[in-house]
Amino acid sequence: MSKPYTLQELLVIAVAREIHDHENVILGVGLPTTAGAVAKALYAPHATLMMESGIIDFEPLLPLNHIADAQSCRGFSYATDLFSAFTMTYRGFVDVCFLGVGQVDKYGNLNTTVIGDYNKPTIRLPGSGGAADFLSYAKRTVLTMLGGNFVNKLDYFTSPGYLEGGDSRDKSGLFPEGTGPTMLLSTKGIFRFDSVTKEMYLAQIHPRVTIEAVKKDVPWDLKIAPDLSETTHPTDVEIDFIRRFAPAMSAGRELSMELMILNMLKQFKT
Amino acid sequence: MGVDGKVMSSKEAISRFVHDDDELVIGNYTVGTCAELVYEIVRQGRKGFTLYSQSGIFDVEVLIGAGCVDRLITTYVLRAGGKKGGSAVERALNAGILKIEDYTNFQYNARLVAGMHGFSYSQVLEGAMATDLFRKRGFMGENKFRVIKCPYTGKDNLTVPAANPDVCIVHVQRADKFGNAQYWGALGSVAAAALASKRIIVSCEEIVEHDIIQSSPHLTIIPAYRVDAVVEVPWGAHPTEVLGYYNLDMLMYGLFMMSDGTADGLKAWMDEWIYGCADRAAYIDHYVQKFGNKGLDGIKAKPYYSAPANYGSAFTTRWDREGKERNMGLTLGEFEQTLKERGKLYE
Repeated sequence: MSKPYTLQELLVIAVAREIHDHENVILGVGLPTTAGAVAKALYAPHATLMMESGIIDFEPLLPLNHIADAQSCRGFSYATDLFSAFTMTYRGFVDVCFLGVGQVDKYGNLNTTVIGDYNKPTIRLPGSGGAADFLSYAKRTVLTMLGGNFVNKLDYFTSPGYLEGGDSRDKSGLFPEGTGPTMLLSTKGIFRFDSVTKEMYLAQIHPRVTIEAVKKDVPWDLKIAPDLSETTHPTDVEIDFIRRFAPAMSAGRELSMELMILNMLKQFKT
Repeated sequence: MGVDGKVMSSKEAISRFVHDDDELVIGNYTVGTCAELVYEIVRQGRKGFTLYSQSGIFDVEVLIGAGCVDRLITTYVLRAGGKKGGSAVERALNAGILKIEDYTNFQYNARLVAGMHGFSYSQVLEGAMATDLFRKRGFMGENKFRVIKCPYTGKDNLTVPAANPDVCIVHVQRADKFGNAQYWGALGSVAAAALASKRIIVSCEEIVEHDIIQSSPHLTIIPAYRVDAVVEVPWGAHPTEVLGYYNLDMLMYGLFMMSDGTADGLKAWMDEWIYGCADRAAYIDHYVQKFGNKGLDGIKAKPYYSAPANYGSAFTTRWDREGKERNMGLTLGEFEQTLKERGKLYE
């Protein structure tokens, strides 16, 4: 039995294991960059880590603040521009990318633009950024959903998953065959997409979570893998790496913010 | 105006080159944003901008919070404080005083790249035709995207129109007094934003000798002849980071994020840090007065220098040590004698 871990550590490792050696990887900010650092250090030493800001082939020494954070590494191998980062994706040189989720439907289509009306938003989310183009052309896309929602209909269709399901994505002629989302990670489980219907199903469930708790968040009749398994526990080596590399990630956003503010207040007083 | 006349204060640069109703582009992408130039625009109370921003952070928030912007073309909008929070963009949309047009990072950048090269449009990645980015048009209407047939493959190509903003404001690490601007790190869309624009205001951490620029031209992203104003402003991007100079200031960034969630909060923050400080020196003084020196000292970059690239060559004159031309083997005197003998010289 491995040592005790936090939920965040479990999530980071689940994502890190999607990165294979020798792959070209586009990292998004937050959990994916920590996962990228874990993978590069522990199981994918030849992976080329890349960000759309044009920082290509870097080894993160610190958790990244955002996707243009050249301060978190000591130099890098290739400085290109954003335009070229996307055209190389278009040409098929990106094996896997990672995207956050605001809303997602059963076919892995994403909304990261707006909740409510586009012109009078209930919540204005960030927008596409790189998402729509990466989900279009990366060979695989891993979706990380920490605060988002499953919905039947997106308020705004930002990024293309499997469109209406089945072969509709491939038939549209807009995307390289076989591309699309391959996994969605939530705080409750790991979802994958049926090879024929392209509908999202529950493939693995995190420890201490019930199927009912997963289904409660999903407005359609969620299918469950017949061989449903528990999400793999992080190993001691993985836990130790994350805690040293990104302690705030281990603690989670809320706790780490609380501790940071406490510390800053203390410094003010002295 | 002589070339030396390009060096000026942010106050002069903004008052001369940024006008009401301009199409304004923030050249920086996520890092090292031109904070002082943005704050000076706010202080001068410019109105009516169509603002281009690749990745909005506090720069876009304060311009919109100050009422400078009518229309926003963007790919990414900042949100303070998660779901419960808000943003100046969201508030302005709901108040009906801001119009917005959403693109992807690539599409936005492609508009500037087309503009930079003098083309009227750029092909972009057709996958977006399946999305609301393509289907939902804002103030650009039909001209947000057009689909054309590729004359070579017969396939449908998605295109975006070129953008040539009136003025670009951009912060870089260093420049010379002529305007040669050097920037390194996350290149993003910085060069395209500047070079697409009709006027360019460069702020920099330091003005360096021309010789420094000449020995490292691979770092120059904007050539002098395109630049209208050079503003030397140390800490000019604070609280964002400038590679080789300073890191992100979490304290000030945190203060901003805690304020930005409400209109009143943002206003109070701007009163203190923008309207309350005449320029960047006053802003830094106020920061040090309030928080002490520890904060800024703690984020100063330690050196990690790029290996120098050798721009040297074998010789720098056609005449060798003996005064003979390297290929013809003649001294200048012998050369002129030959020209005369061969009937090449006219009286």
